[in-house]
Amino acid sequence: MSEWAWFAVNSSMQVCTETFDNMSDSEASCAAAEGSEAALGKQNPSPAGTPDSSSPSTPDFSIDVALTRKARRRPETQPAAKVQDTPKEDEQPAKTSNQSTVSQGGWGYWGSWGKSILSTATATVATVGQGLTQVIEKAETSLGIPSPTELSAQVEEEEKQKVSSPVDGASTEPDKAVDESSAVGSAMGMLSSLSSVVQNTGKTVITGGLDALEFIGKKTMDVIAEGDPGFKKTKGLMRRNATLSQVLREAKEREELQSADKDSANSDKKVVAHYGMLFDEFQGLSHLEALEILSRESESKVKSVLLTLSGDELVQLRDELDQIKGSFSLVEFDDEEVDENKDEDGSEFERELKEAMEGLSVSATADKLSKACKSSSSLINELTKQHVETDVNEEDVKKHSVEEVHAAAIRSLAELTARSIELFHKLAEMILFSNGSTEASVLSQLTVVLCKEISLLSKKFTSCLTAAGSNEKGEVLNPLITGVFLEASNSASYIQDAFQLLMPILEISHIERRVQLTEQ
Amino acid sequence: MAYAYLFKYIIIGDTGVGKSCLLLQFTDKRFQPVHDLTIGVEFGARMITIDGKQIKLQIWDTAGQESFRSITRSYYRGAAGALLVYDITRRDTFNHLTTWLEDARQHSNSNMVIMLIGNKSDLESRREVKKEEGEAFAREHGLIFMETSAKTASNVEEAFINTAKEIYEKIQEGVFDINNETEEKISDQLELNRQANGIKIGPQHPTTNSTLSSNQGGHQAGGGCC
Repeated sequence: MSEWAWFAVNSSMQVCTETFDNMSDSEASCAAAEGSEAALGKQNPSPAGTPDSSSPSTPDFSIDVALTRKARRRPETQPAAKVQDTPKEDEQPAKTSNQSTVSQGGWGYWGSWGKSILSTATATVATVGQGLTQVIEKAETSLGIPSPTELSAQVEEEEKQKVSSPVDGASTEPDKAVDESSAVGSAMGMLSSLSSVVQNTGKTVITGGLDALEFIGKKTMDVIAEGDPGFKKTKGLMRRNATLSQVLREAKEREELQSADKDSANSDKKVVAHYGMLFDEFQGLSHLEALEILSRESESKVKSVLLTLSGDELVQLRDELDQIKGSFSLVEFDDEEVDENKDEDGSEFERELKEAMEGLSVSATADKLSKACKSSSSLINELTKQHVETDVNEEDVKKHSVEEVHAAAIRSLAELTARSIELFHKLAEMILFSNGSTEASVLSQLTVVLCKEISLLSKKFTSCLTAAGSNEKGEVLNPLITGVFLEASNSASYIQDAFQLLMPILEISHIERRVQLTEQ
Repeated sequence: MAYAYLFKYIIIGDTGVGKSCLLLQFTDKRFQPVHDLTIGVEFGARMITIDGKQIKLQIWDTAGQESFRSITRSYYRGAAGALLVYDITRRDTFNHLTTWLEDARQHSNSNMVIMLIGNKSDLESRREVKKEEGEAFAREHGLIFMETSAKTASNVEEAFINTAKEIYEKIQEGVFDINNETEEKISDQLELNRQANGIKIGPQHPTTNSTLSSNQGGHQAGGGCC
């Protein structure tokens, strides 16, 4: 089906606007993601019930969203001037809600885009809903999750409200405030409502993979957590360093709480897999931390070098560094290419990895990664084989429980991710150490390969889960499937973060090479 | 299983003195005579018990090669303990201790506990550095001292655990002001490790705030991973 588009973050919003009219699945999910962003833009990140204080901050927010959509993944480095301009322009409609600001203000294309996207989102939800299997229906009835139709009705409802409020204008302001306070309440509220969207939608999109949902979560959080300088306030309110993975973790924890309640009722002891714990066990966190240290140090070195330069020299270096930065924003990943049936033994991945790693001298670490991947693949093959056998000979062969498959999936994802982070960390060390020129494009290609592999793995594991859980109730199976998808998203976001951490390292390496050249 | 504290350790010293072997012996209880050169830093972790409390040691095993020094120095910050290792069969590794020590003191917390280790004590016949010399150096610079053998595992446990005991005592004495730091800085796992003193309080600790427990809940609660 469509793409998770981990990397489509930088795809400009025009792409979506232009294409959503003739809507294919992928475009729809893209549009859906935009829709959720638009919805977020609408939501008021400031404390409830204070329309006056909210207005100046929210326009910032929507506009920054717009900027971000066109910009790189980490646009904190964007000139602050753009942001500062915006409040002035928005002073006039400041009394109205931010949605109306969006629609009426000087942001024509953004406004209409916002609306159309919302309807597209609705359509997507409905489309996804139609394609659902009975598994989901089971899940919904048992878990009390709104059905796809309910969901889409909800979206429509919300959309109506949004569309109507600008018309009402300032007169309905108090109602609007109440509305928003109930809908959002606070930044915390926004966070949890976001994660509940993620959570709920996750259960609805089971057959198609995370796709639309993943896209929604990923993009939204990119925009919220990283893109928006004005978001700093919200970030402070919400929790420092909130990332997508944290949001997803919240969603998962809530889910675990729910299932724990149920578990205690029938007191079943289950195999529980903790992604975070396993990721740490494979030293993923340590490598990520070490990589962060190197990245931060490089960043401050780059800054201090720039401070010592002036005039043409400075301009030239800035240009060169911008080129490096550019390569870090050009990563796109099309999930459509990820075919569930390919790469049965992980050799394909090994080949791709080798290709991507050509010229990078960290073979030992890459080997570890290939090995991790191969063992996941053989695990999946084993699990699949078992199920084929059980169909024939149900009594004899002991079937893998869904919990076992789930645990294996989480473990594989955690290991593969930790090894990927390790690889990036080692690459960073080698780049700093050897000071040879490493092309950013090579690294971005590597990132794509890794994220594809994560995507592929999660798809394979969820089909295993579905097969293993064919006799299970939806309430048992669904949280597990959601869990796998959520952790896959977690994984990809860790990998992308690690990739971004390499940027200052390439920059300082470039600067040092330059110095060496001039010295010679 | 959850832990009460997490200590960050670094292992430093010349190349080939057996840093990685010490770590492997401590975490995996095995010895590998041929070891790849460490690039940058590698990691190990193990849970130990001191005073009835579970303590997780997160060990950063650094590359000894001179050329990696500028990178590995970056990793010193935030360590609660350091194992400074030399090879008793190679005098030069002992002679370099002063440089290592200066480096370590300059790039890390002043309260960092440093354990001086004379490794390869099994190779008595090839000894170039007397035990007394190691002891004297340690006394002079205020370090703890031990001779170990990563090969026979002699004193390896003790080296790691005694360092932890020393850190633990410092905590009891209030030398490390952990609570202050955790309240302010804890916002995610990475932030934790970045603390100047390299000590984290475990998720179940009474003084931890909700942010900590929820974050660590995701990462490590349930512990027992080592």
